[in-house]
Amino acid sequence: MLISMRWLGRHVDLTGIDPEQLALDLTLSTAEVEGVERFAPYLSDVVVGHVTERIKHPDADKLGICQVDVGTGEPLQIVCGAPNVAAGQRVAVATVGTVLPGDFKIKKSKIRGVPSVGMICSERELGLSDEHDGIWVLPGEPTVGAPVAEAIGIDDWVLEIDNKSLTHRPDLWGHRGIAREVAAILQRPLLPLETSMPELGSEDPVSVRVESPACSRYIGLSIDGVGQGKTPDWMRALLLATDQRPIDLLVDLSNFVMGDLGQPNHTFDRDQLSSEGIVVREARDGETLVTLDEVQRNLQPSDLLICSGGEGVALAGIMGGENSKVKEGTARLLLEVACFEPVPVRRTSSRLGLRTDSSARFEKHLDPTLPLQAAGHFARLLRELQPDVSFPAQLVDVGDWSDPACEIPLNPDQVRRSLGADISDEVMTTLLTSIDFGVQSQDGGLMVRVPSNRATKDIGIEMDLVEEIGRLYRYGNIPEQHLVGALVPPPVDHRRELTESCRDLLAGGARFHETMSYSFQSDSLHQMLGLDGDPYVSVINPVAEGSARIRRTVLPSLLTLLEPNRRQREEVRLFEIGKGYRPEEANDRGEPKEVHELGLVLCQSKSDNPSFEQGALARLMAVVKDLLGALQFPDLQFVPCEEPSVPWVHPVRRVELVVGASGKQAGTTIGFVAELDPGLAGPLGIDGELASDTAAACVSLDLLLEQEPSGTSFVPLPRYPGFKIDVAIVAPDEVPARDLAHAIEKAGKGNARDLVVFDLFRGEQLGADRRSLAYHLVLQNDKKTLTDKDAQSFLRRLERGLGELGAELRS
Amino acid sequence: MDNQANLETAQARIAEAPDPAALAALERELLGKDGLLGQQLSAIPSLPPAERGPAGRAANELKTALTAGLQARATELAQADLARDRAGVGFDATLPPPQVERGSLHPITHVTRKLVEVFTSMGYHILDGPEVELDWYNFEALNISADHPARDSQDTFYCDEKGSLVLRTHTSPVQVRAMERLTPPFRLVCPGKVFRQESTDATHEHTFHQMEGLVVGKDISVGHLVGTMKTLLRGIFGRDIDVRLRPGHFPFVEPGFELDARCVFCSDGCRVCKGTRWIELLPCGLVHPKVLQAAGIDPDEWSGFAFGLGLSRLVMLSHGIDDVRHLLGGDLRFLEQFSC
Ligand SMILES: [Zn+2]
Repeated sequence: MLISMRWLGRHVDLTGIDPEQLALDLTLSTAEVEGVERFAPYLSDVVVGHVTERIKHPDADKLGICQVDVGTGEPLQIVCGAPNVAAGQRVAVATVGTVLPGDFKIKKSKIRGVPSVGMICSERELGLSDEHDGIWVLPGEPTVGAPVAEAIGIDDWVLEIDNKSLTHRPDLWGHRGIAREVAAILQRPLLPLETSMPELGSEDPVSVRVESPACSRYIGLSIDGVGQGKTPDWMRALLLATDQRPIDLLVDLSNFVMGDLGQPNHTFDRDQLSSEGIVVREARDGETLVTLDEVQRNLQPSDLLICSGGEGVALAGIMGGENSKVKEGTARLLLEVACFEPVPVRRTSSRLGLRTDSSARFEKHLDPTLPLQAAGHFARLLRELQPDVSFPAQLVDVGDWSDPACEIPLNPDQVRRSLGADISDEVMTTLLTSIDFGVQSQDGGLMVRVPSNRATKDIGIEMDLVEEIGRLYRYGNIPEQHLVGALVPPPVDHRRELTESCRDLLAGGARFHETMSYSFQSDSLHQMLGLDGDPYVSVINPVAEGSARIRRTVLPSLLTLLEPNRRQREEVRLFEIGKGYRPEEANDRGEPKEVHELGLVLCQSKSDNPSFEQGALARLMAVVKDLLGALQFPDLQFVPCEEPSVPWVHPVRRVELVVGASGKQAGTTIGFVAELDPGLAGPLGIDGELASDTAAACVSLDLLLEQEPSGTSFVPLPRYPGFKIDVAIVAPDEVPARDLAHAIEKAGKGNARDLVVFDLFRGEQLGADRRSLAYHLVLQNDKKTLTDKDAQSFLRRLERGLGELGAELRS
Repeated sequence: MDNQANLETAQARIAEAPDPAALAALERELLGKDGLLGQQLSAIPSLPPAERGPAGRAANELKTALTAGLQARATELAQADLARDRAGVGFDATLPPPQVERGSLHPITHVTRKLVEVFTSMGYHILDGPEVELDWYNFEALNISADHPARDSQDTFYCDEKGSLVLRTHTSPVQVRAMERLTPPFRLVCPGKVFRQESTDATHEHTFHQMEGLVVGKDISVGHLVGTMKTLLRGIFGRDIDVRLRPGHFPFVEPGFELDARCVFCSDGCRVCKGTRWIELLPCGLVHPKVLQAAGIDPDEWSGFAFGLGLSRLVMLSHGIDDVRHLLGGDLRFLEQFSC
């Protein structure tokens, strides 16, 4: 909202007050001022000129050559085409070098051969109105040579207040409300404002019937004898300063009263109203109204309508109707000043996308005592400007409302405790009184009377008064204090420890990049991955169509990142620790089950003949193995899985992650590692020149947390040396590596340790469907030094064992 | 004399041995059975007894001389070798080293960890709460009434028509969940993801991260809030940073504030604070008595303060990130810029 300092000056003396300082004061005590700007700064360069002579241009009938005294000694010669310019006038002169609105720079020129230095301005050229039939003849006799703005009293500073910081303050939506705060801050008096109703006639008033609780008060004032008239310059300047375009006297006055007191109001042409008067009711289904902006609005029963003769004439609290608009020449008016309930106004205005200065104010719970003051203010101002107007009828004032002013007991000790500042009862009283709160001593404490303009919504409990005292006392005057209390270490948080360890191990050790994705996953992604049939939590108002679903699991989010990243990088290594939601497992409060997951993807450009350890699946299995080992789950097993846990993985190249298996105990599946189904490369965009070898892994952190980590127990260092030995085994493809490893362990009789596969080889010389696996291992015993003889017998036993599997040692 | 000549010839050959292998071969030749020394030694038994003593001594002298010569040459060769190594021929300091792939942690993780470290050191618990939240926790228990504008569907993602389930619009609901569970006094922070129904552009994002803080105790005052925030900033930035409180309105605190901190990024024409030298850091306030009550804590006995840190905003400010969408975009070119 824009606040004019000159306008504020009508309510509180601002002599000697610096605009920037005032802005800071308001920011610290009341509401955030976002900007301070001079109103129409170019008006300081435009000076008052006195036209001393006007003669006709020799070569152009419509042009005049003027001599204009601008107080510099030599008069300026200015060629001017305005019909109304005449000697003796005081005018606004833009001298050479001045820049007017629209980036219009005044230069020396010759007009039809006659030199002209400067311009005599119209109101439109100065951005003051649309008036351009002639130049602006300044009223009175302002000092020649003085800047126009100062000379005629429209120089101004404008403060821009952040509307968000006013949402809870209905009293601050007009200049008088801000002025009340300023007066309290500056400790200057708020100037009185006469708003009592002028003398009213005795005719019957327009009848008003309120049929909806959404209108709590409706005041109607009949006005007669309104004539043509111009809005005075001072009022137009104030409206302009607050970004309101002056239109005509009645519109300007209506806007001025709203900007002054914060109370919206509306004028109807009384001759356009039915003789039955006004009915305030809910709209009917299918009813329409053309609003003043000439847009037809489709209404529904939640909209409140001001009606006359059965049809709508205004959308209550939002905008008037085109059909009852006050036109030029309208002499008989009905002024409406009402109180509409905030919620219906907000619902209607946001549904129709029609937010107005009026609706913005009604949304804030306006003071119901304000309409009467605003009606009186309007009437008095109008009579000042047009002494011939009359108010022929008694005031209509209907509706079901009560004065919200209330009393709240205040314990001064509570204020001191809550603020942490030693503020005396007297200072509290002074601060509250300065914003029109009433304060009396009562029962050892204080009784505070909250005025109606603060009691509608904002102030209701003692802590609200603490805020009032605190902000006026200034929070900056409160000494800082340190919390005192027992320092107890927080309870152990296993989940947090686990996730933070995962992060460090994956980013630091495995050199993966952590990402955080949106919780939304698109319908098309789910369809592509075969996840469409799963139940989802979804939002009813998504930002984009088809992306209403909240994810159940993390990995699909990561799959969407493969293609864009592969465009930039040969290899993509990403992980995310995130949450998923399962509505089918909601609890009895309706909260969906929350799961915590670690997702990993490894996607590398496809190579023709990778060695076994270079494939994405093997690499990702290694990462997971390493991660779980570091997390003290060294017993992790990769188990072939028959039924895939998700449909988008490779039908064969996938393994489940099992921990806690020992002896007969089956262990728990905590996730999987798998290649992507090759059929999805195309849909995911990682084919063609982006052809990729892609593996993904999912680890349920919830299930992992339920497992018992192994802990670290010390194993004494070996006392007898071992020796390294390599063996190569040729085996048919159908013999799993696990069986070969068992054969080696068996042959080793507990002495074969640190078994590592270092090569996998196929070739014609091995025969079809056979492979060679090469192992490093260490032969070592805890009680003696092993010899060559031991190695020989190990190899003999291994040869026998392999023979049983149809495999053999390769020499 | 013969011996002397042989020794000189041998010494000359030793001096010319080009490398340790040649020297080793020469050593075998000279000191071996068939070598110079071996011949002399093998001749001794056939000498008359009187000559054997002197011949033995001569052979020993020869051995000593040859061994010394070999040793000296070995040392010489080793020195030459070292000198060659030290010469470092072919080294180019400007040749870039091979690339080592790195991993990275998300900047939100970095800032969260930094804050968690400071808060933990001040005795705060770190809590977590659900992203899909009950209306009760997100709004009702926080004194945000049914007709409050924040509850319009322009601001909130609703998960059902009844409006009983929402995507949390702030981390504040964790306050209430914590208060239900914990017995005062306590201090806690809860980092997490939050959602607003909003179209995205460079400065707007429907999903972002916050960290809520809550302290409940006896006679907690605005002074404590200020003191805590200054301590926090000292913990983050390692120096004193001035703060100021100004009025701000949030339904779940009373009084409510906006806390500004002195711009720590300030330079001429600072874009962060736009020249005001203050940065709007966080909304905060004393916990509204109704919120305490809704969570089962007696407001006559206990009081507290709460604050909400915008983690996404903090990340953007501290790294000068110009587009909020980078944060959740998953672009490696962005992620790789952060350390692990
Ligand atoms: Zn700055």
